Amino acid sequence: MDRTGLLLNYAAALAIILVLNFAIPRLMPGDPLQAIYGDEAMIAMTPEMKEDIIRRFSLDMPPDRQFRAYIASLLRGDLGHSYYFNAPVAEVITGRLPWTALLAGLALVLSMAAGAFLGIESGYRRGRPADGVLLAGMMSLSGLPDFFAGILLLILFGVGLGLVPLAGAVTPYSGLGGMALFLDILHHLALPLASLVIVRISAVYLLTRNTMVLTMGAAFIRTARAKGCPEAAVRYRHAGRSSLLPVVTAAGLQLPHLITGTLFVEIVFSYPGIGTLLYNALLTRDYPLMQGVLLLVTVVVLGVNLMVDLLYRKIDPRVTHAY
Amino acid sequence: MLEIKGLNITYGGPPVISGVDLRLDRGEALAVIGESGAGKTTLGLGVMGLVKGRCTGEIVFGGRNLLAMAEDERRRMRGRDMAMVFQNVDDALHPLYTALDQIVEAILTHRRLERAAARKRAEDLLRRVGLEGSRAAAYPHQLSGGERQRALIAMALANDPALLILDEPTASLDALTKGEITALIKGLIKDKAALVITHDISTAARLTGRMAVLYGGRIVECGPTAELLADPRHPYTRGLLRSYPYMAATKDLQGIPGRMERGVPGCPFHPRCTQKIDLCRRETPVPESNGGRLVACHRGGIVPLLEIKRLSVSFGPVRAVREAVITLHEGETLALVGKSGSGKTTLARAVMGLVPAGEGEIRLEGGKIDGSRDFYRKVQMVFQNPGESVSHRMNVLQAVGEPLDVQGIGNGEERLALVRRVLDEVELPSDDGFLKKYPHQLSGGEVQRVAIARALVLNPKVLIADEPTSALDASVQAKILKLLLNIQEKRGLAILLITHDIALARKVSDRIAVMLNGRIVEEGPAGRVLSSPRHGFTKKLVEAVLSKCPPTQPESQDSSLP
Repeated sequence: MDRTGLLLNYAAALAIILVLNFAIPRLMPGDPLQAIYGDEAMIAMTPEMKEDIIRRFSLDMPPDRQFRAYIASLLRGDLGHSYYFNAPVAEVITGRLPWTALLAGLALVLSMAAGAFLGIESGYRRGRPADGVLLAGMMSLSGLPDFFAGILLLILFGVGLGLVPLAGAVTPYSGLGGMALFLDILHHLALPLASLVIVRISAVYLLTRNTMVLTMGAAFIRTARAKGCPEAAVRYRHAGRSSLLPVVTAAGLQLPHLITGTLFVEIVFSYPGIGTLLYNALLTRDYPLMQGVLLLVTVVVLGVNLMVDLLYRKIDPRVTHAY
Repeated sequence: MLEIKGLNITYGGPPVISGVDLRLDRGEALAVIGESGAGKTTLGLGVMGLVKGRCTGEIVFGGRNLLAMAEDERRRMRGRDMAMVFQNVDDALHPLYTALDQIVEAILTHRRLERAAARKRAEDLLRRVGLEGSRAAAYPHQLSGGERQRALIAMALANDPALLILDEPTASLDALTKGEITALIKGLIKDKAALVITHDISTAARLTGRMAVLYGGRIVECGPTAELLADPRHPYTRGLLRSYPYMAATKDLQGIPGRMERGVPGCPFHPRCTQKIDLCRRETPVPESNGGRLVACHRGGIVPLLEIKRLSVSFGPVRAVREAVITLHEGETLALVGKSGSGKTTLARAVMGLVPAGEGEIRLEGGKIDGSRDFYRKVQMVFQNPGESVSHRMNVLQAVGEPLDVQGIGNGEERLALVRRVLDEVELPSDDGFLKKYPHQLSGGEVQRVAIARALVLNPKVLIADEPTSALDASVQAKILKLLLNIQEKRGLAILLITHDIALARKVSDRIAVMLNGRIVEEGPAGRVLSSPRHGFTKKLVEAVLSKCPPTQPESQDSSLP
């Protein structure tokens, strides 16, 4: 598939998401307003607010006008109004987003890097003791739920050893700045990040090791050795690079899993990110906020997958230069 | 420059290479041929130091034993002092780097050069092998098989190594590309030592001056390429050449019975050999030098079964055979061609003891023949006219079983079983009804097959066939000769075929001897005798056959096909 085709595919997926996000509340039985805001909000709402909302969503207009209004408001960055926070949804989300981005982004990068590195080294040493130990260890980690790993770590290092704070992303009201603030953030980040990485690393590791074992049997490895390439070059430049191709694909596929994992882990560690936000929105039935978060998450997943696809084209010439 | 002494390579099981000795000098090219699984590639990888298994023995290169070196030192020699051109399999080149980049890497691994200078050198190398411009900067999947092979060759040349090991450099290429690549390689290896590993005998013949035949990890024969191809001495070499379709060969393709087995005690080839003796099962033969040729065979190579030395036969004043010299080897077909009346049949009958031999000597397996019953166990004859040679008073069972009666082999039941088996072998029915038939109830082809069955029932080593198919139509003739060649392949039957049909001789014989007025005027490999006859009479014979060709054969080269 060429590049334009690829982009069109993603555009179509985005359009479907937007239509669903627009249609679902409106298709629910009863008043769309009620579906969007919930019963309690309807009771507490003043007629003026109700009037304002109906105007904003163009709920008194025919569906096509409604959809246009919906898209226009999305383009303005207007995701609706959070009744619970009494603030625009976009604003609430933006306030929390950096923490989640930090946590999930680092988890993704670290688990990929460490998993790939260990996988390459392990696959290269296939059958030797180091490989056996690593493989056994990784197999036992794989399939561990994120939140469970989080709880274990929290009990062990937070409650038991008291090495790390139990909750939050920064020490509140400490007035720290500069380097101290950075270290404080890292200190808070350590456990949630560790639990996400530990769970994800095994999948990347197993995949890399597997392809590495296959790649080591390929004819071009023998060609590289016959050239006199040092073992490190054989391992990374020749075998490693080939073994990473499926890992890049897997990263895109793993992303939704990472995001749900992040949501759970944030709740375990009371980390002030999107995950806790969504959790709170669920508890308080803050529908606009929930919708905003879900829309954001789906768009991010779509965006990252697009990036992975484009990246894959960069690293595998067989896709770019098909002929 | 390269000397391999007593090399053994094992991957844990039975050795893949055992006791291999080879020498290779600068400017020399040595071919290693053999079936797949013979250990050819392992040998090449062993020299490169790329085998996973255990190597023992010595590989002396540039005066130093490679097997005693540390791995890091060997690595530094790889690609610099010795390089390997791999077979152009799909992933011999790294799929993610361009051909150019991979050659640049080969250069930079061994030389301290600016990247640009290395790139320049890589471009020069690729140009030398015929890849220029966009082809050089292409990714492997964008290149054709021939282009990939060229890139692999350029890569091996990156640091101008003294020793090149080429592993199947022309496999999976079409004939034209194969020709181009072979010519390219020939030019490139002039000043190097080259080890050409291949199962493609024509490539080996074009590239190398010497040839070693590998079977079951051992060298069974080694010698100058041209001589080895013209006159193979080891039964395996002959089998290999017979199975290989090359243009100079005229005989129909024949295979080697059985398949290669690993870890065979004794001679590695003995399970498939048609001339094995007890010793072959017990002891491994050592290669012995014999007239510039190394042959590892307990029997000294393919045995001469029937030797006719300066044989003359006279009928009163008529000298029918004059000082004829013929050697018939185990498992080969020798066609004796000539006009009628040239003495062919007399020669055959003299061998069979049917006419008294005058002067000269006839030896069977080295011993003088004595006309005893034992002789007829080993040598049998099929005559021209089956209607006359099979008694009309005997039914099939009696006719085929008669030699068993004469030799006193087995009781009635065993004889019946032997007769049935030999009838199966010549593709005749072996049911009771057929056994009771008399010659006049059979067709000409059937009677001749009965005659052949009678000749084969004693499992002889030599079959003398005097115009065995001249009375039969072409389709029956084809079946009978294919049958004989199959038996030859399976049992190593030596056939002395007497015929005036040179076109027939061309398809079934390894060698042709031409007889004129009682003398053998020319003898040689069938392909050579027919393509470049030396004696005037042979030329006339060949021309006579060519002029008889059906008119569909193009007389001029520019004929168009319908």
